[in-house]
Amino acid sequence: MRLIGFSTGALAKDDFRAALRIMARRGVQAAELSALRQPELIPLIQELDDLDLRTFKYVAFHAPSTMDRDFEPVAIAALHQVAIRQWPIILHPDAMHDPLKWSHFGDLLCIENMDKRKPIGQTVAHLSEIYNLLPGASLCFDIGHARQVDPTMSEAAAILQCFKGRLRQIHISEVNSQSRHDPLSFESILAFQKVAHLIRETVPVIVESRVREDEVNEEIQNVRKALSLENVLAMAGD
Amino acid sequence: MLLSSLANEIGPSPSLPSRMLQSCAMSAYERAASVVSEFLEIAPLPTVREAASAVRERLDSLLSTEIPKYTSEDTSLVVFGSLARGEWTSASDLDWTYLIDGQANSDHLVIAQKIRRILDKHKNEFSPPGQTGTFGNMAFSHDIIHQIGGQNDTNKNMTQRILLLLESQAIGKNNQAHERIIRGVINRYLEEGNHLLTEDETRYRVPRFLLNDIVRFWRTMAVDFASKQRDRGGEGWGLRNAKLRMSRKLIFASGLLVCFGCNLNSSLQKKISTDKSDIKFNLVNHIREQIRLTPLEILAKALKEYDVPKEVSLKFFGAYTEFLKTIDDGDSRQKLEKLRARNSRTDEIFKKIRDISQTFEDGLDLLFFDNSHLAPLTRKYGVF
Repeated sequence: MRLIGFSTGALAKDDFRAALRIMARRGVQAAELSALRQPELIPLIQELDDLDLRTFKYVAFHAPSTMDRDFEPVAIAALHQVAIRQWPIILHPDAMHDPLKWSHFGDLLCIENMDKRKPIGQTVAHLSEIYNLLPGASLCFDIGHARQVDPTMSEAAAILQCFKGRLRQIHISEVNSQSRHDPLSFESILAFQKVAHLIRETVPVIVESRVREDEVNEEIQNVRKALSLENVLAMAGD
Repeated sequence: MLLSSLANEIGPSPSLPSRMLQSCAMSAYERAASVVSEFLEIAPLPTVREAASAVRERLDSLLSTEIPKYTSEDTSLVVFGSLARGEWTSASDLDWTYLIDGQANSDHLVIAQKIRRILDKHKNEFSPPGQTGTFGNMAFSHDIIHQIGGQNDTNKNMTQRILLLLESQAIGKNNQAHERIIRGVINRYLEEGNHLLTEDETRYRVPRFLLNDIVRFWRTMAVDFASKQRDRGGEGWGLRNAKLRMSRKLIFASGLLVCFGCNLNSSLQKKISTDKSDIKFNLVNHIREQIRLTPLEILAKALKEYDVPKEVSLKFFGAYTEFLKTIDDGDSRQKLEKLRARNSRTDEIFKKIRDISQTFEDGLDLLFFDNSHLAPLTRKYGVF
């Protein structure tokens, strides 16, 4: 059975303690600590020792989505606290000013494919160039971003086929036309089912849908439906 | 293909580290290098290719100055014709469409009108598109993707759709809408195909729905040629006829090659896996990659892949380059524009065009009817 958890940002924006409490109450077994904005990074890192994360089988850390050039070395130094815990560091490719400075994180550095607002990181071609610079890095495949970039899911399939050896984590949500993360709709579930067979069951899934606490378990069920291998459709062939 | 034009194709990104940008350009260069053949270096092809690249850059710079952020993640400015094919000559028209794939927004019309006004102000540099209204307007993804066939698939809609696939280029950095719509269209054509593989599941079949629409497009262009002759009282007959014989026929031939390539391309056949879910994705991605090339590049690639003798290839490219030289010559182009059908048999320039186009057609006949790879497919899918 797939390991499915939530991003703290999706449940309680920058209040990661509140988000972790919701997850604990709902029996969620995977968590992504989210510091999406630059000022959130250091306070969250400083709290890591005090967080009770024992109930989680999997923990990841989302680095800021944009960073000032001057802040980049500060962030890299701070993220060593994450790396020593062997947690994957999820990073947007356009957040890096000097990619080579991130290379020492090896496969703990998990590059996320981007939504259509971003200038890079949406396609196999873009991601290949990033992996040329960071050959050891892994992939956080955001299936919602991939669907927003190409609703036919053919680019999603190409990314998953091309980088299957790098796949370390999934982000899932419905990414709307304004690039906000919504709960899964029937339409997005159908779209995600088309590539579910390309995602190994052992790859942890982090939900980014913005939901209330009472919607957490329903959203997890919808994610299970979307990524269920039983629902894979035969799309062509005799 | 030139490195500078490839870098332009990808588009610069202010937030992208320069090292990464350089790396992107190299990768695209390597991709395209696989199809660059000696034939694409025959004069004036490098010149018209560079000219097209420079004009696209100039267009982006002009519009960016006058309308900052004139495109977005939901809109792309797309050019067609010689500018997209990399065949820009001195008096080429600028065929453009403001392509929309997003929420309805009344500002889209304002932007399209503004683009039209700016281009009109610079009409010495950018000749306005033709009179049919197919270009110089807005176009919406919904009709292009959903109205394939049926009563609502107008001549304009079908033309835009096929040209989007076979000869279009997004201007500037925002090409997401253009890219999404192209994938959406390819996906539509394949969705309607019940069996994408042959019965023994060893090869992809020729995508018949797409092929039939490309054939329909070609026949429509030929029929519309006669219709325009009547509507416009014979005005512009000579140049339209020359384009039909050469550049329009090239677009059709490149479309056939893309469709036949689905059955013939060995690396695509290798991707047929036991998992049925990947079959369509692989084909969508294959077709998308093929149509990134210009029609001339598709032709050059086919000549290489299907072992066409060099003398035949030289005939093709010799004829096509002669055609480009002729329409690039101001005097010849003007004579062709003024030429009426009744004088065509005695006109020297048109006689030259007829000879060039005969050579080009002889090459096409050899490629499609005599080549051992393509001839069986032409026989099976070409007419009946």
